[in-house]
Amino acid sequence: MGEGITSLPPGFHFYPSDEELVVHFLHCKVSTLPCYPDVIPTVHLHRYDPWDLNGKALQATDRFYFFTRMSQSRGTPNGYWSQVGSDEQVRTGGTDVGLKKTLVFYIRDSQERIKTNWVMHEFHLLDGSHSNSSGGNANSRTKKGHSTKECNKWVVCRVYDSSGGSQSSFQDEGTELSCLDEVFLSLDDYDEVSLPK
Amino acid sequence: MSISVNGQSCVPPGFRFHPTEEELLNYYLRKKVGNEKIDLDVIRDVDLNKLEPWDIQEKCKIGSTPQNDWYFFSHKDKKYPTGTRTNRATAAGFWKATGRDKVIYNSFKPIGMRKTLVFYKGRAPHGQKSDWIMHEYRLDEVTDTNSHSHSHSHVASPIAEANQEDGWVVCRVFKKKNHLKSISSPKNCSSITSDAKTQLMHSTSDEALDHILQYMGRSCKQETEKCSNASTSLSFKCLKPIETIASMHERFMKLPALESPTFQSSVSPTCNSQESYMQDTVAAVVNMDRNYNSGDGITDWAAMDRLVASHLNGQADPAKHELACFDEPNFNFYPTSRLLLSSGADECTRGASDITSNTGGDGCDGDLWSFARSASSGSGSERLSHEESGGAGGRGGAMEWRYPYMGPDQNLLTQVRTYVDILSERGRGPMLDPFFLICFTMRACCFNIRADQARMYVS
Repeated sequence: MGEGITSLPPGFHFYPSDEELVVHFLHCKVSTLPCYPDVIPTVHLHRYDPWDLNGKALQATDRFYFFTRMSQSRGTPNGYWSQVGSDEQVRTGGTDVGLKKTLVFYIRDSQERIKTNWVMHEFHLLDGSHSNSSGGNANSRTKKGHSTKECNKWVVCRVYDSSGGSQSSFQDEGTELSCLDEVFLSLDDYDEVSLPK
Repeated sequence: MSISVNGQSCVPPGFRFHPTEEELLNYYLRKKVGNEKIDLDVIRDVDLNKLEPWDIQEKCKIGSTPQNDWYFFSHKDKKYPTGTRTNRATAAGFWKATGRDKVIYNSFKPIGMRKTLVFYKGRAPHGQKSDWIMHEYRLDEVTDTNSHSHSHSHVASPIAEANQEDGWVVCRVFKKKNHLKSISSPKNCSSITSDAKTQLMHSTSDEALDHILQYMGRSCKQETEKCSNASTSLSFKCLKPIETIASMHERFMKLPALESPTFQSSVSPTCNSQESYMQDTVAAVVNMDRNYNSGDGITDWAAMDRLVASHLNGQADPAKHELACFDEPNFNFYPTSRLLLSSGADECTRGASDITSNTGGDGCDGDLWSFARSASSGSGSERLSHEESGGAGGRGGAMEWRYPYMGPDQNLLTQVRTYVDILSERGRGPMLDPFFLICFTMRACCFNIRADQARMYVS
């Protein structure tokens, strides 16, 4: 899926920014506008553990994308998603248009809960950024607690395994350099000062 | 450069040029090297020496979508006509390689290598590190598992090296995100406890070592004078051959991480004088392998051991401390026949048993170490040779970095000091601490172990 737009040359992938996800995709979904490209499917979040999203959600560059309806619990058959950190604003052209929540997947194992490397970014639309009023204001929602209204609320999610497939390590490496790595490399600078032969 | 058909952008929303490493190597670079036409000219040729990183984003932008990374082809030029090193200097600074080169696989087949470089403003060796990072990909048909244990492959064949240092590469440039990755942050602490298992599985020995060394570097900065005293409290007094080395190493492999409060508290300074510590440490001096002429076992790590040894000898009385407590055969799994153990080894009984609590481990390490022990007890030589013929990946580039044995002489001492100077120059604090140097050696060994492990996982 997702790579179905075959006219693109190699190297082009679905790799939307936060802004694009909210402004383009989520906005269209909520407003029931036709969405081009219509690549992001709708998934019932509570039915699938993250490792079962394969084939259900759009998979592109080791990340999964899907729309889902916001529900009170983010439980799945074998675990649940739990928010970490605070909400981030998603902005376009200087205006806040959405909220980004980061969640981590925990496996529920009898009494224990086991943290996993699965991470989800959940994007909410802020009021006023679309004509349809089904969204509701995320800010007021967090203050007032759960309302019945939000059960109808669409969110768009990006799920990935942070322990890294090739692509995510591809993203993050370069920041993980140890001082000893540097030392070993620095030895190369002393090629000319070679050891006695 | 924009991707457009009749003035209309044909890249749909959400799509952007974000090639996988495999696509970069197998499609773009392969076509470039083979002089084939690339359908869409999204990757430009750039003269790296004439382009500052902050100009790359303008020069290499694709369409009008915001980008976080930029791609270009570059033709590597040699720094010196006779040498093999690449000139990556620009008007404002230079690109400096860092870390080890990484093998890029297409499923299980190696297709190329990735070198990571950091841009420094100014001129070496006084450059100022920037946030600009470059991944430089090269096709490497002859890549085998040897190549990834050390970035600078002193490849046996000069032709292979020439290929590596000359020709087209494809580069990806991006600006490092400034994650705060403080080792003492509370967040890390909690993640250690709740995810100890995961950490053990994912974190590697050298991460733990790095943490130690980082911590040491930090404490060295804080209390320059007490630097070596701090490490003394690790009870790292003597090193014992084989078993202890192995177990000490094992402990390093399994150190939970520096975040562990017990470890931090154990680093509190105690009052051994530097002198006596030096003498204790010198008990760990490598006895040089007098059978060098057999020619089969000199590795870079061996050289490193010698460097450490000569460094220590240089500071203490060499004649007095000619103890043979460990030798690179232990580390690199050579048969014991090459070990020369002097009676002085008896003094070295304590080993690293107090170093820090061991937090259990996984079976893989155990296997590795049982192998190590059997190898070093001499009975495992058959397995050893099998291991070597089976791919020699374990020692990797180590095999290729050969130095003749010269003994703990002044030249080697100079070399050690050079390394130490590099560290000091990088603000790591005074690293003349012998503990550091031993850590350094241990770390070198970890490299080998990790390569072995990696191969075990792959196979």
